[in-house]
Amino acid sequence: MKRIVRNPDILWREEDDAAAEAAALLEQGGEAGEIGTAILFADGTMVTLNLLGTEIWKRCDGLTEEELVTALLEEFDVEADVLRHDVANFLQELAEKRYISYV
Amino acid sequence: MSEYILKAPLTINWALNNSCNFSCRHCYSRVDTGDELDGPTLKECLTRAARAGVMAVNFGGGEPLLRSDILEIARHAADAGFRVSMNSNGYLIDGAMAGRLKEAGFAKIGISIDSHVADVHDRFRGMPGSHVRALAALDHLKGAGIKTSISTVICTFNHTTIPDLVKMAREHGASQLNFHNFKCSGLGMANKDELDLSPAQWKDFYRDAMTWKQECTDLDISLDDPIIASLGMRDETAMVKGSVCGKLSLNIKSNGDITPCGFIPAVIGNIVRDDLKKVWHESQVLDQLRHKTPKGKCASCSDYAECLGGCSARALAMTGDFNNPDPHCWVP
Repeated sequence: MKRIVRNPDILWREEDDAAAEAAALLEQGGEAGEIGTAILFADGTMVTLNLLGTEIWKRCDGLTEEELVTALLEEFDVEADVLRHDVANFLQELAEKRYISYV
Repeated sequence: MSEYILKAPLTINWALNNSCNFSCRHCYSRVDTGDELDGPTLKECLTRAARAGVMAVNFGGGEPLLRSDILEIARHAADAGFRVSMNSNGYLIDGAMAGRLKEAGFAKIGISIDSHVADVHDRFRGMPGSHVRALAALDHLKGAGIKTSISTVICTFNHTTIPDLVKMAREHGASQLNFHNFKCSGLGMANKDELDLSPAQWKDFYRDAMTWKQECTDLDISLDDPIIASLGMRDETAMVKGSVCGKLSLNIKSNGDITPCGFIPAVIGNIVRDDLKKVWHESQVLDQLRHKTPKGKCASCSDYAECLGGCSARALAMTGDFNNPDPHCWVP
């Protein structure tokens, strides 16, 4: 299975305050899907990632898609099938934007 | 994103000097101070900006290559983790310099070219032979492995020449063609009657430019003017609504003064003595730019939510209040 690598031309950083806000909301049982916790930036374009997107992006550094799902399942209490579906969709979107590639 | 304040600017446009070998008729910085930060101070400031979370720095001036320590400064910035780029007139970039710029860590260099016609460019830039050397610079940089862009200030003598400018960019391997809207700052204000377009001309220009942008798959055409929103032709690459100044980027002048952008003269701090993140989060000027109050025709305009009054710098320069409508706006 091919491994996922980030496009080295993409600049990115986590937004610490927003990440803390999202984590606090989740802790209280709230929804944090709309909070941008990381920024991807390249050549005048910018993408904001929510908490799940950020956690996926951080792991796009040589894992296979299945390894990435396994890694997330170890940290987050979510249904495997739902997560697998969300990860696949998100990676497809990133690949279409050329933010990641498969080697 | 418009309501969310990033933890720090994504990018800083950083003037290293104000000395220049050209005499451009629209130059915004001729009236600025000649003071420059010394190398060690500049490096320390770059290190602190990187720690604050800024990801990219774009060096400008003046002509940054007139600064003798430019390569050392760029190397320091790259080592600090920045994506390093620069705007230059290209006059001093030969093959050897292109190689040194690559070694210094430059990822991208923009060359200012205002016309595909050499004489027109040379007259506008006040330097005979500058067009030939600017095009040569693009070739040398590409040969050295540095991505290039062409920066063109749109004005009365080039606004109908998009096909020629695109052809020129393609022939010289530029990855991006930046069409900069004309700002009435510095000499741009003094020469605006001769150089600036009418609102109707801007509308025609942007309609054409957006069509070219959508059709060009091999060249990134960057427009970066919020008034495009009122054309109903959505720019999918626009990162925020309204001006990016103070939302995604900041400007630093050669003496260290921090301004929202290079065309807004409001000094909101100094990179040597002030904490960048504190300025970013606490500046009242930035807060006002991020939360503009529509005035005049903007107050009843259905496009306001998308364009947020257009270019704040232009409105400020021409009316004294950045909440006023952008003078380039064609909406009645």
